[in-house]
Amino acid sequence: MDADQLFNLSGPIAMTGWALLAVSPLAPRVAQIASGIAIPVILSLAYTVLILVSWSDADGGFDSLANVMKLFDSPMVALAGWVHYLAFDLFVGAWVVRRARRDGVAHILVLPCLLLTFLFGPVGLLLFLAIRAARTLLAPRPIEA
Amino acid sequence: MTDAAFQPSRRAPVRRITLHPLFGAEPVLAGTGILIGLSLAVTAGAMVLDSRAFQGEDIWTKPIKFQVALAVYTLTLAFFARWLPQGMTKRRDYRLFAGLVVVAVLAETAWIGGAAMFGTASHFNVGTPFKDALYATMGVLAVMLTTASLVYGIAIGRNTASGLQPAMRLAIALGLVLTFVLTIPVAGYMASTAGHLVGTPALNARVPVMGWSLEVGDLRVAHFFATHALHFLPAAGLIAVSTTRGRTAGGPCLGCRDRVRRLYGVHLPAGAGGPAADADPLTPVRLTPTRLTPAPSQRPPCPRRCFRASSALATLHPRSRISPSARL
Repeated sequence: MDADQLFNLSGPIAMTGWALLAVSPLAPRVAQIASGIAIPVILSLAYTVLILVSWSDADGGFDSLANVMKLFDSPMVALAGWVHYLAFDLFVGAWVVRRARRDGVAHILVLPCLLLTFLFGPVGLLLFLAIRAARTLLAPRPIEA
Repeated sequence: MTDAAFQPSRRAPVRRITLHPLFGAEPVLAGTGILIGLSLAVTAGAMVLDSRAFQGEDIWTKPIKFQVALAVYTLTLAFFARWLPQGMTKRRDYRLFAGLVVVAVLAETAWIGGAAMFGTASHFNVGTPFKDALYATMGVLAVMLTTASLVYGIAIGRNTASGLQPAMRLAIALGLVLTFVLTIPVAGYMASTAGHLVGTPALNARVPVMGWSLEVGDLRVAHFFATHALHFLPAAGLIAVSTTRGRTAGGPCLGCRDRVRRLYGVHLPAGAGGPAADADPLTPVRLTPTRLTPAPSQRPPCPRRCFRASSALATLHPRSRISPSARL
């Protein structure tokens, strides 16, 4: 399989995970098993394999911005980078859903966080952490023993 | 951190920072304000990284100004929400209204931030059907979010059980209502013109921070004072109530009346119809007769102005030993 085929395959896999998270109040356990473990594991395995087979061909390194950019000149390494995003973003999305359920954050507030995590990873995480911070700040002070 | 296994045995209770006493009466509006406040970190970072300018200002100045203004507005409403009629914030129609206000506030923030991101104008950006529709929608949302102050002003003004002193309640209600009544025509007129300046500046001299023109007329000055009526009037009310407490609110305290009787030979009647001279103007207390005349030993030391006020009253009394002219 070449990089393009793998890329076309990775998208729907991740999208399945995000769709499950979006409707997770209907089936919280299924969503966590699929989007919090199974799909990130599949994507992480794919990433590991891609790095194993392509790392030796790639120029560049992690020591300068120019070298990092050079790494992504290789389609296989660029694909690995993309799969890295997909895996970690979905894992964070599942964590957001899990944490929101535990803290009692309404799902309607979680949905924009998920959308932003899906599109711009850290922005969604930031929004969720900000919502949690606001909730914590406004919670009544617990009665001190 | 909340794992059952990790339970520190001897640890002082965590003193968590909480804004609940300030804004807890309306967590949805308060949460919106806090979120917008936190998002200032993002726009401030963008301002540092981004060197683009728009109409002679840093392109991120306007989003930051609006974020500050909207955070202050929502937090102010959340602060005032404690004086709404009891149970109002739980009502379904109120919740729907508050939700719409929050959506309007967030949409305005996103629109102005987005315009800066794409390096274009937010207000006065018309020309294509899409831009016209967007500008009009944002106008509707701006009116929507301003109506919150009108609703709050009327509800607090009519709430006789708010526990506020009448003067304070009037100041808060008038401030809130005036924010709506004054902002709508000013902002509406601004929107109907081509820009916020009256005239064409040559030097582009501006007021620091606010960015108002120092050369020609600037409608944003009027907008600022109109919109901040909900701060200025309650502040004026608070000052008025605090400084005139001894004279207007229940009269001078027993100790000062006693001193005045000895000095001036005038017996001042105990005040009635208002709270005690030492009452905190913002403390929501039921005004019971016992509250009006507590025993002298229970009274905290009265402020100096209490004696000054009672002296002033005594000199005006027809049977006073000291006449008003001799007072000076």
